[in-house]
Amino acid sequence: MAGHRKATGKVDVRWMEGLITIVQEGRFQLSDGRGVSHQFVLGHAALAETEQLRPLQSRQARVRVKYTEASGLISLIAHRIELLEPTTLEPAGS
Amino acid sequence: MNVHPRARDYTQSSLGKLIPDESELTAGVKIEPRKQYGFFTDTTVCIGCKACEVACKEWNNLPADNVGLTGHSYDNTGALSANTWRHVNFIEDSFSKDSGGKSVRDNDQSPFQSGWLMMSDVCKHCHHAPCMEACPTGALFKTEFDTVVVQQDICNGCGYCVPACPFGVVEVSKADGKAHKCTLCYDRLKGGLEPACAKSCPTDSIQFGELSDLQARAKKRVAELHDRGVHTAYTYGTPDGPGATGDMQYLNAFFLLTDRPEAYNLPAAPTRPSNRIAPALTAGLATLAGLALAAVALMASGGEEPHRGR
Repeated sequence: MAGHRKATGKVDVRWMEGLITIVQEGRFQLSDGRGVSHQFVLGHAALAETEQLRPLQSRQARVRVKYTEASGLISLIAHRIELLEPTTLEPAGS
Repeated sequence: MNVHPRARDYTQSSLGKLIPDESELTAGVKIEPRKQYGFFTDTTVCIGCKACEVACKEWNNLPADNVGLTGHSYDNTGALSANTWRHVNFIEDSFSKDSGGKSVRDNDQSPFQSGWLMMSDVCKHCHHAPCMEACPTGALFKTEFDTVVVQQDICNGCGYCVPACPFGVVEVSKADGKAHKCTLCYDRLKGGLEPACAKSCPTDSIQFGELSDLQARAKKRVAELHDRGVHTAYTYGTPDGPGATGDMQYLNAFFLLTDRPEAYNLPAAPTRPSNRIAPALTAGLATLAGLALAAVALMASGGEEPHRGR
């Protein structure tokens, strides 16, 4: 499920869909289709801001997150968040 | 058993909504803006269960770091960091007076394993917070509860707060490039809840409350320990005590210790780096002026034609 560093040193970029269930500052938890929760940290170059996460959580918006695995951390680094359903919210990272 | 009278109003096992001013029931204090709040950590009753570390990670959604075994006693967290805002120190006080000259690693032990020191370390929420003084963007600020918090949307990750902190608490995360530290559960305080670590502490080693009340409680506890023969007990971070040196005045998160501060990885005499700016600048300018004078003197003497006899 989680991305991994390839032997070549290239970072494996992956996507995950789900609902944002918990938000604390730039950290959030994404519940995937199977109900498994994944911990994310908004990356420093992410196309989203920390204040955009809270509305996504409160509206239980379905999102797709582009991520890589963090080194030395049991967490995933989110690089882009896309909204999957029509909403009045401004799409984060678009 | 002392039960708060309001506790009788909430006897059901599941609640439909938050209990208003819940901290009144759990910590005996009503959280109100414009009052000073903090932690009193009594290390003599800490059992090293790490419930505070877990509660902090759980509430703040902090990821686990330092995955693996450190090899340092029971401590696998290592230190406070951007992702660890509570850290339980395990100190093997090898040959303390109390252990009768025996190490905790000896096969036969003195009663109660008194050679162990355990302390739950945290951000001290200093009265004169050096991290806040160093912050050029104003991301670090004093809240209405007299605690120090980093505003994540304002922090630009310059890292000036990191060397400014005399306790080595603040760290810039490699994941998001921003400074992180304990917020004293700012969001919980705003909701009338006791901070997660204090609420989870099973021995009340971490006590949350109004600062004046906590300081009085600590003074009483030290006197009580002295009466019981623990003459090494003292508070670290209370006004005019160790830890409140160098113009720090006092720490909102203070500790009751039984060994020297260095044993707990705390500085014996923390200072405010901002107080060193004026002397450092003066010394720098004086050096510059001295060098300029020397250069002028050299140039003046070098400009003269050497006198040569015929």
